[in-house]
Amino acid sequence: MPNAVENSILTELGKRLVGGSLSDESLMRATENTPNRALVPWANMVKIGGQSIMDRGRAGLMPVVDEIVANLPRHKMILGTGAGTRARHIYSLAIDLGLPVGVLTVLGTAVAWQNAQMLQYLLASHGIAFLEPEGFASVPHYLMERGAVICQGMPPYKLWEENPDIGRIPPQRTDTGCFLIAEVFGARKMIFVKDEDGLYSADPKKDPKAEFIPRISVQELLKMDLNDLVVERAVLEIMLNARHIKEIQFVNGLKPGQLTAALDGEPVGTIIYIEGVSRGAAQ
Amino acid sequence: MSGAQHVVSKLMRESLMDRQVIAGTESPVRSILPKLNVIQIGGQSIMDRGKAAVMPVLDEILANQAEHTQVIGVGPGVRARHMLAVGLDVGLPTGALATLAAKSAAQNAYMVSCLLASHGFVYLEAPFIVQLLPAMLAAARGAVFNGVPPYDLWEHPPALGKIPPHGSDAGSYLVGEVFGARSVVLLKDVDGVYTSDPKTDPGAVFISEIKAAELIAMRLRTLPIEPVVLELLTRAKLAKSVRIVNGLVPGNLTRALAGEPVGTLIHS
Repeated sequence: MPNAVENSILTELGKRLVGGSLSDESLMRATENTPNRALVPWANMVKIGGQSIMDRGRAGLMPVVDEIVANLPRHKMILGTGAGTRARHIYSLAIDLGLPVGVLTVLGTAVAWQNAQMLQYLLASHGIAFLEPEGFASVPHYLMERGAVICQGMPPYKLWEENPDIGRIPPQRTDTGCFLIAEVFGARKMIFVKDEDGLYSADPKKDPKAEFIPRISVQELLKMDLNDLVVERAVLEIMLNARHIKEIQFVNGLKPGQLTAALDGEPVGTIIYIEGVSRGAAQ
Repeated sequence: MSGAQHVVSKLMRESLMDRQVIAGTESPVRSILPKLNVIQIGGQSIMDRGKAAVMPVLDEILANQAEHTQVIGVGPGVRARHMLAVGLDVGLPTGALATLAAKSAAQNAYMVSCLLASHGFVYLEAPFIVQLLPAMLAAARGAVFNGVPPYDLWEHPPALGKIPPHGSDAGSYLVGEVFGARSVVLLKDVDGVYTSDPKTDPGAVFISEIKAAELIAMRLRTLPIEPVVLELLTRAKLAKSVRIVNGLVPGNLTRALAGEPVGTLIHS
């Protein structure tokens, strides 16, 4: 190994990492059993839907804003926003123009950003700030000082978004971005506020025979292979590998009290949980 | 959906999680910068070797400057490995490790940009790649970027272990894919892909060309490329191949840029 660092003070795993190949499966396996530190375990990640809440304007959004304000003294919340109908419009247009997935992600991010700014204006009088991904080191500080902080929900992948399996729409959007924030901080809860009571066997907006599912494991849900889902498929796939977030909850933001109940730990809406053993070593 | 204020579009009112809706968006993609060549300089394989390995590579890049538009991605190398070792030991999550490791690649990219500065190359951080790369390539002679993609805290936890799966191979490839680049060339310190490690197994067979899906199916114990790139290749729309060449051998980059069969070509 040329120019290898003086590694006598490294752990055995550290020595292997410095010299070994990161595509070596046995080395990857060796990193499996390292401790998982929850960075901000008292934070709750709350995603406010774009099309489902934000696009409804006053009627849909203000009750949710009021409920967030009412919970400020009791729960610390990172508020992420979805994109919604303007993203649908620009995705349609950009696809028609032949633009790649990475460009669509840049465009969709701008819509989620607009919604985040709008939410911030509505919560400004409570001293709630908006943070860009680059400012995320300040999230814990804002949470401690003001009880909440706002971010746009898209992951900051920009042009580096991966292609989907099928079609041209970015597969990792605001559900995925918010979930990954919850996961990296080791948050207490991941709550999605949408305009449905939770997960159904089909789209309840289109199919009157759709059945409500209050609780289901990721593994079962993936096995059902539903044509439509309440959450981005990428979230379910990443959940299988998650270290911290063992369940995600979906509540109806159009029903007052559901967000509060979820923050209080009540089983409202739908809970999707991960089945199986915890990964990583004890600290 | 009643109550929402819609902008009229084809995707209005549709669930973007609906497979049929998603499949309905399948259509051709346009190449934004079809003359672009993405060259990735390996961190541990090239940069960490210092002048002896780096300068010949940079000279070869400059020798090709008149003929080929090149953007240079740079990998992180041994400092990132050290960072991972310490970070894992204290229990940091994958997203935190990715954020930290990316900074080591940024250092390497900045050094490369300094060494190429007098020839008109500029260093572009991710937001500037988004906004300025086409303008820079029209005005400047080339650009250098951080090979590690800007996933930062949003990096995926991997299926096995905790090492960030998207390193500089993935980031460089994705730049090639999104701009519809002419080629993606990864400069490493090995000739390409072998069926096993040629340093320990005299029976190792060299693979000069292979499909990404076939290489995944071979389940080789180690690869000279991040495994995630193979998966990305199976979903490629524009950048349908990646060439791995030995950057320690003079002339290899030039041959790769000329489209000659050097190293290993992995395609979709």
